[in-house]
Amino acid sequence: MTAQSDLRVDNMTVRFGGLTAVDSVTLEAKAGVVTGLIGPNGAGKTTIFNACAGAVKASSGSTWLGEVRLDHHGVARRASLGLGRTFQRMELFNSMTVNENVALGPETMFSSRRPWGQLWCSRRDGADVAERSRVAMQLCGISGLATRTVGDMPTGQRRLVELARAIATPFKFLMLDEPSSGLDVVETEKFGDILQKFVSETGVGVLLVEHDIALVSSVCSHIYVLEFGNLISSGAAAETLASDAVRSAYLGTDSVYSEVEQSDRAEVGSHA
Amino acid sequence: MSHLLIYIIPGISDGAVYAIAALGLVLTYKTSGVFNFAHGAVIGAAAYLFYQFRDRQHMPWPVAAVLTLICVGIIGGLLLERLAYYLADAPTVMRVVATVGLLVGIDTLFTAIYGAQTLQFAPYLPQGGPEIAGVQVSAADFIITALALAGTAGLYLFFRRAKLGVAMQAVVDDPSLLSLQGTSPIAVRRLAWTLGASFAAISGMLFAPEIGIDVNDMTILAIAAFSAAAIGLFKSLPLTFLGAMVIGVGTSLLGDALQNVRNITIESIPPNLPFLLLFAVMLFVPRGKLVEQGIGRVRGFKPLRRYGPRIMLPIVALALAVGILIPNLVGAAYLNQYTTGLAYAVIFGSLALLLWTSGQISLCQLAFAAVGASTFAHALSSGMPWLVALLFAGLITVPLGVLVAIPAFRLSGIYLAIATFAFGIMLERLFYTTFLMFGSSDALELPRPRIFGLNLTSDKAYYYTVLVVVVLCCAVIVLVGRSRLGRLLRGLGDSPAALEAHGGNTKVTRLFVFCISAFLAGIGGALIVGVTQSASGTSGGTFDFTGSLFLLAVLAFCGRRPILSPFIAAFVYQVTKIYPFFRDPNVVKWEGVVFGALAIGVAIVPAITVPIRGRASLRRSQQAMTGIGLLPMPEFSA
Repeated sequence: MTAQSDLRVDNMTVRFGGLTAVDSVTLEAKAGVVTGLIGPNGAGKTTIFNACAGAVKASSGSTWLGEVRLDHHGVARRASLGLGRTFQRMELFNSMTVNENVALGPETMFSSRRPWGQLWCSRRDGADVAERSRVAMQLCGISGLATRTVGDMPTGQRRLVELARAIATPFKFLMLDEPSSGLDVVETEKFGDILQKFVSETGVGVLLVEHDIALVSSVCSHIYVLEFGNLISSGAAAETLASDAVRSAYLGTDSVYSEVEQSDRAEVGSHA
Repeated sequence: MSHLLIYIIPGISDGAVYAIAALGLVLTYKTSGVFNFAHGAVIGAAAYLFYQFRDRQHMPWPVAAVLTLICVGIIGGLLLERLAYYLADAPTVMRVVATVGLLVGIDTLFTAIYGAQTLQFAPYLPQGGPEIAGVQVSAADFIITALALAGTAGLYLFFRRAKLGVAMQAVVDDPSLLSLQGTSPIAVRRLAWTLGASFAAISGMLFAPEIGIDVNDMTILAIAAFSAAAIGLFKSLPLTFLGAMVIGVGTSLLGDALQNVRNITIESIPPNLPFLLLFAVMLFVPRGKLVEQGIGRVRGFKPLRRYGPRIMLPIVALALAVGILIPNLVGAAYLNQYTTGLAYAVIFGSLALLLWTSGQISLCQLAFAAVGASTFAHALSSGMPWLVALLFAGLITVPLGVLVAIPAFRLSGIYLAIATFAFGIMLERLFYTTFLMFGSSDALELPRPRIFGLNLTSDKAYYYTVLVVVVLCCAVIVLVGRSRLGRLLRGLGDSPAALEAHGGNTKVTRLFVFCISAFLAGIGGALIVGVTQSASGTSGGTFDFTGSLFLLAVLAFCGRRPILSPFIAAFVYQVTKIYPFFRDPNVVKWEGVVFGALAIGVAIVPAITVPIRGRASLRRSQQAMTGIGLLPMPEFSA
């Protein structure tokens, strides 16, 4: 089994011309737990994701995956070192079936291990890819859709395909960018359950950008809150979500939050 | 200095015409995200109409010019706006297909009406003028340069200051948002396209007296405009103007500097400077500087239905049986056309591998084929066995595939199409006539095969030889499709970002696909020249750069299947010519118009089924916004 790693961002600043999108942000997401990164629209969450993944160049600061510094590597190299991600606007292989989509995740990763890896697939690699896809589809509950073409599927199922592909790939850490957007309440709950099961079974760490507070509060053990590119709060999920700074910056009025909190409590109570 | 001025002044005038053409191109691309490969055809259409009104209808030139502006600038611009509208959400490949189809269609239309010969066009602007440092400068030069300067400055200020100018830049990204702000995206797009087409029309009318009126020359003029636009990174109007001046003056000065050189490649550099610059810009400009306009809105292709072996195997067996029986089914006189068709199927297959499997665009497939053909002829004449020579012809095109893959590392979509277009023309103009390819005599003889003691020189034997090679090439395409590389290529076509996010090195994937495609095209080229037993790179001949555009247009309406579609395309492109109907001079004359129309149709049909966002939609949006209090209620007069 691959040794899992923490993701660490040290003092990251990202500027687009004169605009500072992320200002000296430091955060650490541990292996084996889900860490939340929340904030209002435009707070800089996806920019941090993109900078960690190498899609955007950070003006200063550093990104570490375990003991490996990622700053001088491109997108593909960071991914092959073990940093996986999903996209806010889903990036799926629409002409392929669910099974092919999920399998192409680990297969792509394996192809990057050798110079001629794209031309040749060893029997062992093939078997490994098939097994990983099977397990990931089972975990996400999409085994029955294996032969469906992804381009024709509804958003909820497509989100699960994207998650299954990320899970099937031997990443050491996963960043999920608004994975519940477009999902209804039932689908979101199911998504949260799958995520928790995956993290507890594999020990892979997850950094989750999410607007759905119910999902964040149910799966995250630690939360970082961003506003205008600055980190304004962090800590254990329940305390952070309850803090005044977060309420005023992100959740709006007390009454709104109270409603969310009450409905969450009621839900927890009914499950109990 | 006066010696240099003799070259600089006409260079400035030429550069001004390039600038006017390039401004129209940049304007429409910035506002629609559709790069108009048919810009040259629009320029040509204006020149032909101007000729029609002035020389054939004997109208005064100002009247002819106004009528041309109305026909091409306004009516043509409005038609182009509709086309761009339907292409707004289309994949980049289909945008290229549609505009290439338009180019093929318009060029064929005017060639059919006015003939292929260059029409001479007498100057109409005043020619007299003052002397500057001993050099006579005509009033025409002053007028053209002033027009270009005024156009650049006017458009620059319009984009920066006017509300409509700002709206023009926004419309490409989100027309819905623009409509919510109370500005009609349709009106904005119409203005942009009529302005763009008018600039193209003016450049066509200005250039007509300089070079005469010829479809190919107007296309070349447009490529000079592409080059100027590339120097302006397809967005900066002042830099585009500067780029046009560099091309105009540079061409003129280089012509002077190299006039005593007797090397065929070097002496052909000055007239080909625009293509060299275009390819160089595409090769060296950083990736982040070339952002494709309007790409965020594109929809993907509808997934193809797949068929299992139970359906495919009988079809393949039937196709093979037909292939084997063809020499017995068709007359001997027509067999060579079928053989050529088979060879073209390989070239179409190489293009389909790029286009439909991996989402890469190539407008230089016939340049690869030309390299394969000429290498094959040289290899055979040096005594190489036929099979080895064929393999060698394919392999020698692989480094060219690598060269084209270099821009593909950094560029995609429309910019890759432009880079490959420039590469194809560059290769044809600089190298076809060198000893490395077809030579100055432009004709290489080559024998048909004798393999393992078998004499395969008859038409029938050569047909079967080609059939075997084509089946092997199809096997290569199928094997690639079923291999890990094939899956990665499909992934690249669907989502390069997802592939990279899973550790995939997309540069290597692109490199492989271009190498395989170039190899196959090289083999196809070698097989084609084996039919006639002579190879030539004549302009307008088998390997002319316009042929690559035809291939794309034809393949586009023959489906997206990796094997079936190339065979259908080859049949349509080559084999139909043996039938009396398709040999009719009128059909030959007009077939390009039909190819072009079909290519446009294939590109826009998916959009026509999508609800159209028009005035009614705009009104509904505004009513909705008013209803929830985001827009003020309209005032009613008593």
